[in-house]
Amino acid sequence: MRISADMIFWIQQKRWLFIAFISGAILYHFVPGPASLSPEGYHILIIIFMTLILILKEPVPLPAIALQLIFWQVILGGSTPNEVGSYFMNDAVFFIMGSLMLAVAIVSQGLDKRLALGIIRFTGNKTWRIVSGFTAISAILSSFVGPHMVTAMLLPVALTLIKFTSGDAKSKSGLTAALLFSIAYGATIGSIGTPSGGGRNVIMMNYWAEFGSGSLSYLEWMKLVYPMVLIEIPLTILIILKTFPPEMQVLDTAVRRLIVEVAHSGKISAREVMTIVLFGFVLLGWMLLSEDYGLGSIALIGVFLYLAFGLVSWKDLSLGVNWGVILLFGSTISIGVQMKNTGGAAWLADLSVGLLTAVIPNIEALRAIVSVALSGVMSNLLSSSATVAVVGPIVLNLGGDPILLGLSSVIASAFGYFTAVAAPACTIIYSSGLVKASDFLQAGWKMAVMSVLSLMFIALLWWPVLH
Amino acid sequence: MPAYDALIIISMALILIITEPLPLPAIAMFMLFMQVILGIDTANNVASSFMNDAVFFIMGSLMLAVAIVSQGLDKRLALGIIKITGHKTWRIIAGFTAISAILSSFIGEHTVAAMMMPVGLTLVRYAHKDPRKVKGLTAALLFSIAYGATIGSIGTPSGGGRNVIMMNYWAEFGAGTVSYLEWMKYIYPMVLIQIPFTVLILLRTFKPEQSNLDSAVRKLVVDVARAGKIKAREWVAISLFVLVFFGWVFLSEDYGLGIIALVGVFLYLAFGLVEWNELNRKTNWGVILLFGAAISIGIQMNKTGAAQWVANVIINNLSQVISSPEVLQGSVSVLLTGVMSNILSSSATVAVVGPIVLDLGGDPILIGFATAISSAFGYFTAVAAPACTIIYSSGLVKSKDFLRAGWKMGVLSVLSLLGLALFWWPVL
Amino acid sequence: MMSKHSLINPESLRFLTAVSSSEFSRPTLAMGSLIASVFDASLGVVYVGEKANEFHGGAVNLTRQNLETWDIIHPGLDVLKWALQELKKLNPENTDLAKIQFNTDHVFEEDGRIKIIMPDKEDGRIELILREGELVDQLRKEIQLESYDLAIIGGSQNKQHLAHSIIQYLPSSVFVLQKFAPRKKYKLLLLVDDSQATAKSVEWGALIAQKLGWPVKTLTVSKTKLFGPGYQGAADMAKAYFEARNIDVEQHFITGDPVSTFVDFAGDDHIVIMGASTLNPVKQLLFGSKPIKTLARTDVPILIVR
Repeated sequence: MRISADMIFWIQQKRWLFIAFISGAILYHFVPGPASLSPEGYHILIIIFMTLILILKEPVPLPAIALQLIFWQVILGGSTPNEVGSYFMNDAVFFIMGSLMLAVAIVSQGLDKRLALGIIRFTGNKTWRIVSGFTAISAILSSFVGPHMVTAMLLPVALTLIKFTSGDAKSKSGLTAALLFSIAYGATIGSIGTPSGGGRNVIMMNYWAEFGSGSLSYLEWMKLVYPMVLIEIPLTILIILKTFPPEMQVLDTAVRRLIVEVAHSGKISAREVMTIVLFGFVLLGWMLLSEDYGLGSIALIGVFLYLAFGLVSWKDLSLGVNWGVILLFGSTISIGVQMKNTGGAAWLADLSVGLLTAVIPNIEALRAIVSVALSGVMSNLLSSSATVAVVGPIVLNLGGDPILLGLSSVIASAFGYFTAVAAPACTIIYSSGLVKASDFLQAGWKMAVMSVLSLMFIALLWWPVLH
Repeated sequence: MPAYDALIIISMALILIITEPLPLPAIAMFMLFMQVILGIDTANNVASSFMNDAVFFIMGSLMLAVAIVSQGLDKRLALGIIKITGHKTWRIIAGFTAISAILSSFIGEHTVAAMMMPVGLTLVRYAHKDPRKVKGLTAALLFSIAYGATIGSIGTPSGGGRNVIMMNYWAEFGAGTVSYLEWMKYIYPMVLIQIPFTVLILLRTFKPEQSNLDSAVRKLVVDVARAGKIKAREWVAISLFVLVFFGWVFLSEDYGLGIIALVGVFLYLAFGLVEWNELNRKTNWGVILLFGAAISIGIQMNKTGAAQWVANVIINNLSQVISSPEVLQGSVSVLLTGVMSNILSSSATVAVVGPIVLDLGGDPILIGFATAISSAFGYFTAVAAPACTIIYSSGLVKSKDFLRAGWKMGVLSVLSLLGLALFWWPVL
Repeated sequence: MMSKHSLINPESLRFLTAVSSSEFSRPTLAMGSLIASVFDASLGVVYVGEKANEFHGGAVNLTRQNLETWDIIHPGLDVLKWALQELKKLNPENTDLAKIQFNTDHVFEEDGRIKIIMPDKEDGRIELILREGELVDQLRKEIQLESYDLAIIGGSQNKQHLAHSIIQYLPSSVFVLQKFAPRKKYKLLLLVDDSQATAKSVEWGALIAQKLGWPVKTLTVSKTKLFGPGYQGAADMAKAYFEARNIDVEQHFITGDPVSTFVDFAGDDHIVIMGASTLNPVKQLLFGSKPIKTLARTDVPILIVR
């Protein structure tokens, strides 16, 4: 009796797993693929279909979904394991691994207290200036180092300010949301600014290289995209202050107490200097050497140096990195490459163009809309990296300029403002328990509109000048 | 020249691995990014060479081991084995070695090492709470698994991928074929001879601190009794593992060992038998990185021609010293293969050295056997063979231990091979 | 049917209370504290938080670790801290409890969840537990792990779906506290029929009546005018059990639809005690069961005995 109750519970919990696999099996065995699509391509699309169901409903943990993505490619897709392995691992996966480890290494040095001091000295204690300062600094920092590190370092500052502000949670809910979203949205809009800003950027660069679409150097990427970041910063600040009007105009008590708390850190130590210097090297390496060596290898060199100089232990790195993320990264990239190789991506691209030509006659606009819409919407469901991994090959097969379309797809994948899922920064502030899902919706639509308009502005006025 | 650069990286890496000034994962990263910096290959290609079925396998088996331990199955298995061997330490070591050797001769060293390791670790943990006090016992137990699996893996064609590679080469060279049973006739005696001597070497090198494990066994019995009868969850865990096991034995030709291991992990996660959190924390990712890096560099050695170059150098030098062609062939294949397979994987070694050695003339079957056998002499480093990597991942044995016992094992194996070649093969 | 050995060992009971955010959990905590103190039993307080999306789990962990260096703790731990303070307020005379401090240094991860260890006490140990994930799944795991006898859970807004899962899948007895008013004098309504769980329900009823001094009524409902030997026998056994312990009991026999009768009789001042359904789990899933239907239709606390 006990056993069957357990079994029923298990089946009920995992029902979407069965639904996904059974529908996949039915499609594989009984439903013939479209004539214009090769059988291998069809199989890959079936695998993606099953995976999407699993990701949306999560009957099994995400790393398990990564595993099934790998083994279905061998069992259903007919690839050899070595092939799948070789698609799995590439510079982008090295990059995500390295940048996660760098984040652990740097955050564990405690530099955030000094950073906090610097920020507060600069912004003063007027609330609107603090919110603006957080947004701008999150954006600029995360454009170089990625949103994980920035959010991990700035969130404590925001939470401390909130803690030191008097009143119960309800009376400062506007302030709380404003401070937290300034970090999350700031980090998110910044993460597209340079290739090292996020794993998804490197995925796209990887695809360009693999599909022979061309390449962009670090500085060329910045030239094309950074202006958009700079435009979005003041607009984001406006949106945040209007959506979450802070209850207090001045945070003098909180700021004073914060300063007292961080001033205790003492003189800057040799370790901290070393940390900053090494990171400077990594940054320089990214800017100057990444075309030759790849962003990932340089990130690994950085991690190697941190380990060699004893600034962090392997144990801390290994525990701090969630290897499931790396598995997910690798497996979604491998399926993306397979989509391209088997023609599945091209087929999907043609399909979307075919469907929408009637509605949107201008082919350029059509391509742009498809990439932006697809990436923007999907990244609210999957994370932005998984989105670029899966949508990237489709976008690059639409025709037109693959570099510009790829860039728009990457930028749009950062438009994940509606849910906590899309961007790590949003997940992190959500996990503090101080913002609600409805807050994301409230501000999210405004951010989405603003971002789309900024992208259009940049694409129509700035890119033609450069490219 | 890329081949030269590959050799530089390998030598530096070997020194670093043996002297251990840096954590091993750092060395893994070193091996990877140096390939890019020295211009041997692009970042993407280096990355691609990192991940393949073998790395999937190591990753999968290490995760499976975590899952099995979290269900407490390792304790039950340990108890089962002890019931057969009794409590005296030497008998337990002998039992582990023999079981690992015989099992691995049929299903391959990878699987056996992956299966037996949690069991060995369990016994170690029960012997003494502080592993530092029982270093000798720990090393003896873990190495009995690793070396047992390695010496067994030559016994039949299904014992290892390299055996199959050699059989393929014989076919290609027109040297004829060897059936499953014929292979066993030629080689199994060596396995059987090596088992007792291996046990001796282990006991003499590592000197277990306790001559019997009564207290450990008593605690084990108590714990297993406390866990109660095997519950439904544990039956599911056991059946899943048996499923994976059969998958390895029967399906690995089609899908590869690694993919099957990953299916196993997926099933454990899907059935809720283990949490991802636990897998994330307890799997030794550094070892996986190291393994992948070693494979990557091995592939590069092959691609750049470094491996062939080393082979030729050795042959040229030896041929000046040794005039007799048979002895030359014999020593070349054994020496070359034995050394290289401690760096590359044994399959890669056979793949590279096979054609060279078979070209030297003489009886290709006998030379081929000698090569296949010596490629199993992966005793000296943590990356020499997957079995070694797996026990190294426990963190309880050091690189030095591999060297200490390894050279003795090397000597034992060479002597056994000699004995086999001089006395047994002429009879057949 | 009533065995000589009692099914409950009152000396070594373990209770589990599930709290959500601080506003809604006061009554639940009050009941947990009350029951634990009258039984002199250990009380586990568990908070099941939302699990961070796995895509960014690593980043969340990193941030949390960093937050700790700023003395900002996991929001779930905040709730547990509040719970401890509430428990102290509810039991002002318990000096041992007053001495316990919430100390984040005593937090450690064990068996897949986070536990705060209170310094060792003989009686009335309090354990604070933090879990993450889906509510019913995590509660199941906790109950299986620590063998709790009774889980005390607040009524929630999302009654239908949650109630179903809680009643069907939690392996211990469950006390669903809907609209529980801690100072109210409740009457116990014990549903007696010929099912297996009635024996244990009667034991629980007697224990609670004894310890809390609340009056007990038994109710036996039959769809027909006839009360067969099973029903009558059960009611007689119950009466005998109570009388042996000097507890007054009113017995009622009503003809009608069981669930509606329970609901009407219970009104708003009874606590209902009934045995868990013995139906096949598949049937329960598809058709519901008496406990599930009763819970769906009434607003009073219900104790479902397993």
